[in-house]
Amino acid sequence: MIADFRRMRAGMAGLAFLVLTALVALTAPLFISPHDLSAVFAPGMPRQAPSGDFLLGTDGYGRSMVDVTIWGARISLTVGLLATLLAVGIGALVGVTAGHFGGWPGTVLMRVTDWFLVLPVLVLATALASVLKPGVGTVVVAIGVTSWPTTARVVRAQTLSVEARPYIERAKALGGGHWHVMRRHILPNVMPLMLAQATLTVSGAILAEATLAFLGLGDPTKVSWGTTLQLARQVGAVSANDWWILLPPGAAIVAVALAFTLVGRALEQVLNPRLQEQM
Amino acid sequence: MSITVSALPDAAAAPPPPDGAAAVRRRGPAIPLRYAAGRVGGAAVSMLAVVFTGFFLFRIVPGDPVRAMTRGRPVDADQLAALRHQFGIDKPLVAQFADYAARVARGDLGTSYQYKSSVSGLIGSHVWPTVYLVGTATLIAALLGLRIGVRSAWRHGSRSDRVNTGVALVLWSMPTFWLGLILIVVFAVGVGPIPGMFPTGGMSGANVHGLFPTIWDHLRHLALPCLTLVAVVYAQYLLTMRATLLEEVGADYLTTARAKGLRDDDVRRKHAVPNAMLPAVTLVFLNLGTAVSGSILAETIFSWPGLGSLFYEALTVPDLPLLEGLFIFFSAAVIVMNLLAELLYPILDPRVRTT
Amino acid sequence: MPTPTPRRRAFALAAVLAGAAALSAPAAAAAGRADAARPAAVQSPHVQQAASASDGKTLTVATNGSIDSLSPFLAQRALPTAVHRLMYDFLTNYDTKDDHAIDALATKWTTSPDKLTWTFTIRDGMKWSDGQPVTADDVAWTYNLMMTNDDAATANGNFVANFSKVAVDGNNVVITLKQAQSTMLALDIPVVPKHVWDSHVQDIGKFNNDTQFPVVSDGPFILTGYQKDQYLTLDANPNYWRGKPGFDHLVFKFYKDADAEVEALKKGEVDFVYGLTPAQYDSLKGQSDIATNKAPGKRFYALAINPGATTKDGQAFGDGNPALQNQQVRQAIMYAIDTKTLVAKTLGGYGTVGGGYIPPIFGTYHWDPDASSAYSYNPDKANQLLDAAGYKKGSDGMRTGPDGKALTLRILGETNRPDDTQNAAYLTEWLKAVGIGATTSIVDQGKLGDTETAGTFDLAFDSWTVNPDPDYVLSIQLCDERPKAAGKSFAGDDFICDKDYDALYQKQITEYDPAARADDVKQMEQKLYSDAYINVLYYANALEAYRSDVIGSWDKQPQPEGAYWGQDGYWAFWSAKPAGAATPGSTAAAASSKSDSNTGLVVGIVVAAVVVLGGGAFLLRRRRTATAEERE
Repeated sequence: MIADFRRMRAGMAGLAFLVLTALVALTAPLFISPHDLSAVFAPGMPRQAPSGDFLLGTDGYGRSMVDVTIWGARISLTVGLLATLLAVGIGALVGVTAGHFGGWPGTVLMRVTDWFLVLPVLVLATALASVLKPGVGTVVVAIGVTSWPTTARVVRAQTLSVEARPYIERAKALGGGHWHVMRRHILPNVMPLMLAQATLTVSGAILAEATLAFLGLGDPTKVSWGTTLQLARQVGAVSANDWWILLPPGAAIVAVALAFTLVGRALEQVLNPRLQEQM
Repeated sequence: MSITVSALPDAAAAPPPPDGAAAVRRRGPAIPLRYAAGRVGGAAVSMLAVVFTGFFLFRIVPGDPVRAMTRGRPVDADQLAALRHQFGIDKPLVAQFADYAARVARGDLGTSYQYKSSVSGLIGSHVWPTVYLVGTATLIAALLGLRIGVRSAWRHGSRSDRVNTGVALVLWSMPTFWLGLILIVVFAVGVGPIPGMFPTGGMSGANVHGLFPTIWDHLRHLALPCLTLVAVVYAQYLLTMRATLLEEVGADYLTTARAKGLRDDDVRRKHAVPNAMLPAVTLVFLNLGTAVSGSILAETIFSWPGLGSLFYEALTVPDLPLLEGLFIFFSAAVIVMNLLAELLYPILDPRVRTT
Repeated sequence: MPTPTPRRRAFALAAVLAGAAALSAPAAAAAGRADAARPAAVQSPHVQQAASASDGKTLTVATNGSIDSLSPFLAQRALPTAVHRLMYDFLTNYDTKDDHAIDALATKWTTSPDKLTWTFTIRDGMKWSDGQPVTADDVAWTYNLMMTNDDAATANGNFVANFSKVAVDGNNVVITLKQAQSTMLALDIPVVPKHVWDSHVQDIGKFNNDTQFPVVSDGPFILTGYQKDQYLTLDANPNYWRGKPGFDHLVFKFYKDADAEVEALKKGEVDFVYGLTPAQYDSLKGQSDIATNKAPGKRFYALAINPGATTKDGQAFGDGNPALQNQQVRQAIMYAIDTKTLVAKTLGGYGTVGGGYIPPIFGTYHWDPDASSAYSYNPDKANQLLDAAGYKKGSDGMRTGPDGKALTLRILGETNRPDDTQNAAYLTEWLKAVGIGATTSIVDQGKLGDTETAGTFDLAFDSWTVNPDPDYVLSIQLCDERPKAAGKSFAGDDFICDKDYDALYQKQITEYDPAARADDVKQMEQKLYSDAYINVLYYANALEAYRSDVIGSWDKQPQPEGAYWGQDGYWAFWSAKPAGAATPGSTAAAASSKSDSNTGLVVGIVVAAVVVLGGGAFLLRRRRTATAEERE
C-alpha cells in the first residue's frame, strides 16, 4: 500500500510539502523568539514594504511577515488537525455504530446525519463560534461539530460492506460480542478510509478557520493565517496595496489546503482499487 | 464555498446522498408515489427540527442586542427598557419560545431588531439578488465544471486532464473572501496593464436608464462576485463528472458502441455522457441549496445586497429574529433542493425505475 | 483525437450568456419595480425635479453604515441620524466655525427668570417640500408626540424627558421644563410635518418612513429613494431658506467592506469616503484627483476600569478585581501605559494623546491636566504606587496583593474595533513590566455588552462620540445611571458613583451662562481624571478622502480643522460645490495615473502565479508511460 502511495506523484508532493511545513512549524520557537512576535517589541515599523531586513515586509504591528506566516502555521495547523480529529471521531463513531447495529438505531443515527448534512454549515459554525468563549478551542469545536456528517456516511457505507464479509459472520458465530467485532474487525478495515477522509477534512477545516476569522469569530490575540488576514483587512492593508501582508497568509492557506487535498485523493486512490485503475 | 462542503466529492463519497435512490434499488420495484410521500415526509420532519434548532441556537448566543444597538447613542434607561420590552427579550426563555413557535406556525418570522421591519419582508427583498447571483454562478460553474470534467475523464491522464484538475483543485483551496479581495484589487481597480473593468461592489449603478444599459450594468456588477463563486465551486462538478464518467469508460456497452464503428466523439456524446449525467444533475440541485448560504462571503466582499450580507449584518448586532429567520430560510433552501433532487432521481434514472 | 469545433464552443458560450441574461431579468425587473413606486406621489411639486433625476451634479458618498429605520422617531443608528440632519431642520443648529448654537427653525429664543420656560420663535415663510407652511404647530406636535407616545420616544425620548409641557403661542413654541436644563439649544430632534405624520400615529412604532418618495421634509435635501443595502438618494431642496445646496443630488452607496469603499473612491465610483484607517489614508494621500482630510476626532478612546459594579441602590455584583477599588492601583496602571506609543503605532500617528474627557476639538469644554498631574508614561512611578498600595513583587517579578493573590487583570475588547486587539497587546506587555499579569478577551459587540452589564471585567476599552453639548457623555457617569438591579441593562457606562461629580453635574445642567457652565464641566473632567476610572488613552483623528475632481469646495466643522463627515449640522453637504471642469473622462485618467503604486502588487501576484503554475507543472510531471500503463 505504501508502495502504491509512492507512485502517486501529486500525493507524494503534497505529503513532502506537509512534512516540511510541519517541521518548520514545530521548530519555529527555535528561530523565532517571543520578542519577534510581541506587539511592543516588534522589530520593525508597522506595514513596512519588503526589504533586506524583512524579506516579506512587516504586518500591522511591525512584526516580520516571514515570522508571522511561519508562526501562523502553528495555530492554523493545530486548529485544522484538532477539528479534523473531532469531526472524524464523531463521524466514525456514528458511522460504525449505525453500520454495525443497523435497525432503528442505525436509521435514527443516519437521519440525524442527513439532517446535519442539510444544515447550512457556515451558519451553524458561526452560531457555535459566537455562543462559546472566543478562543482556539471554540473554533476547533465549531468546525469539528459541523463537519462530521460526510465522514459518518462514508464510514457507514464501508462498515456495511465489511459486515457483509464471511469472516464477520464467523466471528459472530464464534461468540464475538459487538465490541469485539467492532474493534477487531470493523475498525481495522475502516481505519484507512477514515485516514483518507481525515486528510480531505483538514483542508476544509483550515479554510473554515480563515473564514471564521474573517467573520470576526476567531481569537484575534492568536497569530494564525486567518487572524493575520483579518488584521490585514482591519488596518486597511488591501486598499493600501500592502500586498506583502495579504498574499503570504492566503498563499499559505491555499498551499496547505491543496497539499492535504492531494494527499487525501492519493490515499483514496490507493485504498480504492477501482479508483486506482481509473487514474 | 470552502466551508459548506468539508470534503471534495469523489467517487467514494459522490454522488452525495441519492442514498434514497439506492435504497429504492435494493427494495426492488418501488411505487414512486410511496417513495415520494416518504421523501416529502422526511423533509417535513427535517424542517420541524430546523425550526426548533433555529430558536435555541440563537437564543443561547449571548449578547444584549439592546446595548449593542444603542452603543454610542444618547439613550436613557427608560428607552432601553422600552426596547427590551418591544423585542420581547425581557421574558423568560420558555415564554419567548412559545411566542416564537406561535409566530412561525403562522408563517411570521418576527420583526428584525435593527431594521424594525418584518423578517419575512427583509428576506423577500434580499432573496432575489442572492438567487440571481447564486443561480448564475451555479449555472456557469456546472456548465464549465461538467464540460471540463467530461473532457478530463475521456482523456484522463493527459496533460490537459492534469492541468484542468490541478487548476480546479488550486482554486478550490482558496479562501473565498481572499480570492474576492484579490479580484477587486486586480479587476475592479486595475493593476499594471490590467484596467479596472468592473465595479467594486453593489448590484447596479445609480441612474442607469433603458433596458439594454440596465442589463449591461447588471452584468458588469455581476461579473466579479460571480467569478469568485464559480472559481471556488466548479471543482466539485468537474471532479464528480470526471469520476462518474471514468466508471463508465470501461463499460461493455461503450466497447460495443465502438465496435459498431461509431466515432469516438459520438460514443462519448450519445452513450457515455448521458449515463454519467445523473450524479452531476443531483449535485447541481444539492449545491443550489447550500450555495444560498455559501454566498455570505462573496456577498459581503462585493457589497451584494442579498441574504448573505444581510446575515453578516445581523451577526454583528446580534439581530436574533433576523438570524433565526435566515437560518430557517437557508436550511429550508437546502431541504427543498434535496427533496427535488430525490424526487427527480427516479424520473431521470431509468435504472432506479425499472429494476 | 476529437476536438470540439469552434461552432460548438460558441454555442456553449451563448448558452451561458443567455442563462445569465435570463437570470438577470428578474433582478432588473425588481429594480424597475422599486423605481416605479416613485411617481406615486404625483401631487408633490417636487416631482418635476425627481423626474429629471439624471440631470445635474451628483455627489456620491460611500458608507458602510446601516439604516435601522428612516423614521426620525425610531432611527438610532448613526447613518439614518445623519440623513435626518439633511432632511429635516431642527430647532437650532451648530455654527460651522465653532459649534455655538445658531438659528435654524427657531430664529430667536428667550428664557424665563426661573429658567423653567423657554420660548422659541419659529422662522417665517418656511415651506415643507409639498408646499405646506412649516409652523410652530409642527414643532409642538412632534415634541408632544414623543412625550406622550412611548414608541415615538424610541429614538430621541431622552431630549424631552425633562419637558412638562410644550405649547404653541402664535408663531412661538413655549416649552415648560420640570427643572432647569442648560441643553435647550442642543435639542437634536428632527421636526416632522404634522399633516403628513398625523395618519401614521397609529403605527408610529412600525412606520419606517420609506413607503412614499419623495419624503415630505424641510431641510436642504429631500429623500427621493431608498433601496435597502444599495442606495439612498436625496435631491437638493431648491427652496431651502439658507440657500440651495451646490450639488443637485446626493447619493449614499452602501458597502459592506471598507477596502471596497476605498477602491471605489480611487476609481471614481464614489466621491467621498470617511472612517479611513491610517493605512488607507496613507495610500490615498498624494494620489491625483483625491484630497485627504485629517481632522481632530470627536471621539475619545478610553480604558474603563471596573470600580466594582454596583446597582443604583449600591448593591455590589460582578467580579471586578477588588484591587481596582484602590485609586493608587488605578493611577499606577495609567502611569504604566505609554499613550504616545499607542498614538504612534495603533493610530499611525493620526491622533492626540489622551487628557480630559471632552476631546480637544470642543475647545470650550476641553480640559487638559497640567504636566505635574498628567499620567505620562513612567513605570518607576507605577512601581512606587503599587508598592505603596501593598502589592509586592515576587521573585518572578509579578505582584501579589495583601490577600496573597496574584495581581492579574482581564482586558476586554471588541472584535469590530481593530484598535482594541492592538492596544490590548501593548497593554499586556506594559502591565507585565510593572508586575501586573493580564489576560485578554476580544469579543463581539453583543458579548461585550453582556460582560459589561454583568460587571465581570477588570479593564475594558471604551469609546464615545461627544456632541457639541457635552451633557450626554457627562451624564453616563452619574450614580443614577447605574443599573436598577444586578445584571440589568443600563444606560450608564462604567458603574461609577462619585457624589462630588454628581453635584457638579447638577450645577452645570442648571447653569445658563456658557462660560460658567464650561468651568463646571472642566471641573468634572478633572474629577474623572484623578479618579482614574475612565482613562482617555487618545483621541483618534477622523480620516477622510474625497475626489477633488468632483467636489470643488466644501465646509469643514469646526474650522479650520474639522471633519466633513459626522458634523453637527448639514454644512458639508449643503455647502459642497462641484469642481469646475469635472468631466467623466477625468476619472479614467485618474485611474491610470496611479498604476505605479500598484507595482508591488503586480510583483506579488506574478510570484503567486508562478507558485500556482509551478504546482500545476509538478502535477504534469508524472511520467507519461506510467499513465499509459495505468490506463490499460
